[in-house]
Amino acid sequence: MGLGKTLTIKGLSLLFVLFCVLFLTVIIIGATGVSDRILSAILSDRVRAFRQEMATKITDPEKLNEAVEEYRRAQISSLGLDKPWYIRMPSMVWRIITLDLGNARTVISFSGSNKIADIILERMPNTVFLMVTVLIVNFLLSLAIGVKVATKPGSFLDRFVSLYSAVSYALPTWWLAMILILVFAFYIRIFPFGGMFSTPPPTDPFWRCLDLAWHLCLPVTTLVIALSGSWIYITRSIVITVAQEDFVTAARAKGLPEKLVLWRYIVRVAAPPILTNLILGLAFYLTGAILTETVFSWPGIGLLYFNAIMSVDEALILALTYVFTLIYVIARFVLEVLYVIVDPRVRYK
Amino acid sequence: MSSYLKESWAEFWAGGISKLGVIFLLTVVVISIYTLLNFPLDYGTRYWNNPKYWADNPKASMPVWVNLFTAQKFLNHFSMSTRIPSKAFLSGGHYLKFYNVSYELTVNQFPTFITIKLEDVVYYRKAPSVKVIVQRPDGRVMELYTLIVESPVPGEKPPYVRYSDEPKKIILSGNTYVAMVLSKFLAREYKISVAPSDIMDVGYEAVIFGYPGDDGKFKPLKGIYNLSVVLYAKDGKDKIGRVTFVVGGQVYGLMGTDTLGRDLAQGLLFGFPVALLIGFTTSFLTTLIGASLGIVGGYMGGKIDDLIQRVSDVVNNLPQLPLLIFLTFIFGGKLWIIVAVLIAFGWPNLVIVVRSMILQIKSSPFVEAAVSIGASKWRIMARHIFPQVAPYILSQMIFYTPSAILSEAALSFLGLGDPSIPTWGQILEYGFDNGAVYLGYWWWILPPGLLIVFSAVTFVLIALGLEPVVNPRLRRWR
Repeated sequence: MGLGKTLTIKGLSLLFVLFCVLFLTVIIIGATGVSDRILSAILSDRVRAFRQEMATKITDPEKLNEAVEEYRRAQISSLGLDKPWYIRMPSMVWRIITLDLGNARTVISFSGSNKIADIILERMPNTVFLMVTVLIVNFLLSLAIGVKVATKPGSFLDRFVSLYSAVSYALPTWWLAMILILVFAFYIRIFPFGGMFSTPPPTDPFWRCLDLAWHLCLPVTTLVIALSGSWIYITRSIVITVAQEDFVTAARAKGLPEKLVLWRYIVRVAAPPILTNLILGLAFYLTGAILTETVFSWPGIGLLYFNAIMSVDEALILALTYVFTLIYVIARFVLEVLYVIVDPRVRYK
Repeated sequence: MSSYLKESWAEFWAGGISKLGVIFLLTVVVISIYTLLNFPLDYGTRYWNNPKYWADNPKASMPVWVNLFTAQKFLNHFSMSTRIPSKAFLSGGHYLKFYNVSYELTVNQFPTFITIKLEDVVYYRKAPSVKVIVQRPDGRVMELYTLIVESPVPGEKPPYVRYSDEPKKIILSGNTYVAMVLSKFLAREYKISVAPSDIMDVGYEAVIFGYPGDDGKFKPLKGIYNLSVVLYAKDGKDKIGRVTFVVGGQVYGLMGTDTLGRDLAQGLLFGFPVALLIGFTTSFLTTLIGASLGIVGGYMGGKIDDLIQRVSDVVNNLPQLPLLIFLTFIFGGKLWIIVAVLIAFGWPNLVIVVRSMILQIKSSPFVEAAVSIGASKWRIMARHIFPQVAPYILSQMIFYTPSAILSEAALSFLGLGDPSIPTWGQILEYGFDNGAVYLGYWWWILPPGLLIVFSAVTFVLIALGLEPVVNPRLRRWR
């Protein structure tokens, strides 16, 4: 199987997942009447805007009402509000894909727009930035410590890592975030309570970066503490399994230096499954990011999610569910590509 | 089979981790049973989410035991009820009944308020009157307040019952009549003149529980106070059902209170059975579905297998939390909905692993033997294949329990929990929403999280202990 074909199949199956989610959500919001509410909200927004616009042109209130009523009727049929939900399902799916879901109820974007698409697109980079930082730190950490531990199974460090990973699996990330704020922001006062920049943010680019890094410390620490345990543990188990293979024994028998055996023979083989677990762990990152952003008021889409729930903003929640699924699917695809590059066996299977 | 079980148990019990896990589990179970026996099932709606029930408690106060660690001692919140009069006698045509409690002021602080609650006042002839009297450690006595119980309405027949639905609350602090009494008291006992309208500035509690120092400021008077409510009745049978004295303090109970005055210890206790219920139900049903589909798919093969694999592949590729949030948001935060959604997303992982195990077992000689003697497919799956994967399935079930508990907590924290049932996640949510983190209310933030971690760790430890049983390859590493 060629490289292109493998990736196409992967891509198509992920695309299929995305569409499953879309249809599932559309059916649910259709059957529960939520889609009616979302469309009605869009309708009343448009009608209001139209009335304001027309009020300057038409002075006769009778005629104005007539024009507005006409416009409303046209909009109802164009939005599909006069048809049952299952008939307008395709258009609803299209609406979600293009994030054309009207205005957010209370949240406003940094530039002042309250269109859902604007708000989400503006916040997305912040979330991606946080997640990528954590991903990189965690990957390096787990590779460094996991391999080290695997070479000495049963040692003190090994036992500690096992215990740590068990405890961190049971640790709610968002609670850890609160504790870190309590300790480092409230009591010791060396880190900020939350946010991405100080108010007002520094104008000088250098200080701006430093300010960002300062605000990044606690969220990243939280996510690394919460997630690195299981990663190190997984890395360790994979490396140990590989270390028991015959070709490793053979390499040692040849008298190769231990370092060479470790990095050329063991880690090289162990890397792809480690990467697989990185892919699988992504769901947890996303989960962790939503809640961690909330606690640290990091202005990403996780915090936006929380705000949407708090203000019972159905359209925004729908849009965010889609966006999160999209990010997840894209990230998985990128990692699949990486996987194929790292492990040639996948290509030629 | 029984020797296999014995062996497995020995292997399991040999690890220190498993012993710790079992001890933790027993603790959780015992506390849950205690809670279920002592709390009504509708505790959430009846008490926890009923602000009236907690109105007398101090708000956002620390637990009592902080006094063990601080130099400056905090005043303990005091609340005591009495149903039986300590003495009763006839005097001047009135039956006098004394309802007493004694209150000891031990620290250098004034109470924050003093309130008296009367419940179920019963009288037969004329409406009685009720007096509130405080006898201080220095022997001085204050008659703080007099209440005339409401007279019978025309047509009402004795016995007349008052304050049965809603207790009568006498709030002494801020009361103008009490201010007058206190002003007179100061003039009489200490020759200080303070106008009744200025009592508020001095502080009602400062006058009741203190004495004027040399610098003109009031100092707390430590010692035992006798707080009493006296019923002046025309009939010997008249009585008060219950008298409650509340003296406001700054520390409360074992776990402190939140900003509504709720006793956190109670909420935390109630969280135990709820966490167990969520964890067990979710993990059991998830494992049941996942394992059966895995076994059926793996053994049957063909179209059924394809279908199961496709579906589980799709579900497995979904990001869980966003969809969990979406579904609980749309369908409402009922506990069973949360559990159902968790199950709906949890099963595919197990299907994939169990299926691959079944594919190996399927081709082993003992299955072929069973097939050759004509055993049915279902019988082979239930009697020959299932026992092979049972230990693994069990360990997965235990391993999935914490993630169910954690997911529910996360949803609760996002404000999507079941509001009628207090859980640890909800306590944390309420704390976070009310700025507990920014105000340093550590007693509100630490314990619920620690309990979540504790209950989750319990299952992780047991699952870890089971690992060498399930996967013999790991034995040599432990």
